[in-house]
Amino acid sequence: ITSKTLANWLPTASRRLLASSSSTSMSSGAPSAAPSGSKPLIVTERAFKRLQTITQPGEVLRIVVEGGGCSGFEYKLDLDNKVNDDDEVVENEGQKVVVDKMSLEFIRGSTIDYTQEMMRSAFRITDNPLADKGCSCGSSFSVKL
Amino acid sequence: TRAFPADPKRRAITLTPTAVARVKELLAEQPGATALKIGVTQRGCNGYTYTLDYSSTKAKFDEEVEQDGVKVWIDMKAQLSLLGSEMDFQKTRLTEEFVFRNPNIKGTCGCGESFNI
Repeated sequence: ITSKTLANWLPTASRRLLASSSSTSMSSGAPSAAPSGSKPLIVTERAFKRLQTITQPGEVLRIVVEGGGCSGFEYKLDLDNKVNDDDEVVENEGQKVVVDKMSLEFIRGSTIDYTQEMMRSAFRITDNPLADKGCSCGSSFSVKL
Repeated sequence: TRAFPADPKRRAITLTPTAVARVKELLAEQPGATALKIGVTQRGCNGYTYTLDYSSTKAKFDEEVEQDGVKVWIDMKAQLSLLGSEMDFQKTRLTEEFVFRNPNIKGTCGCGESFNI
């Protein structure tokens, strides 16, 4: 499921949310301009440090929000070699976390962290101001409407 | 006075070589610990999730699994759902985690952290 099919699949209310956000970013011209002033994403030092040890030169951590999971929406994290024109980029010492504009509207203001536990060490998206409730593992969430 | 009769020839769970290596690594980091203890707690969208902790004293009803020089103790409450499972440690560049391949479970969470029976 891609961002485009996601838009069709979304309930009307969130589709309206998407439509209004894409029109504001279009009218503002510069794609990097954050509409509401607040930081688009917060990436912790731990996350950047971990990226430094696992990425090859040119690789970035890409976050995509898709429909799915037990709570309606799911975070997908992957390593990518490409940064697109409509990506929001958070960079630190050459390490980049990127998210496409469509997905960003679902995670704006979230924190990207890398947590190490005995059972599982992984990147996590936490403190999503838009998420209502999520799965305990944090891989899926539902949106406040 | 066992929770259920166990076949002495068969382990309650089996560990893959990567799981053995990871348990060994974890125990080496914590000199006071004798074993890793697997428990179960009610959490997650599918009801239950396994927990992992260092342990130095074996509880009365803990099931001991010893394999290739490492010890794992299974809490009584986790025994029924874990019986017959394979404990694996999977490593990708983004995620490193223990997973339990369990023939008894009906459903799992997308991430595989929680399950129901």
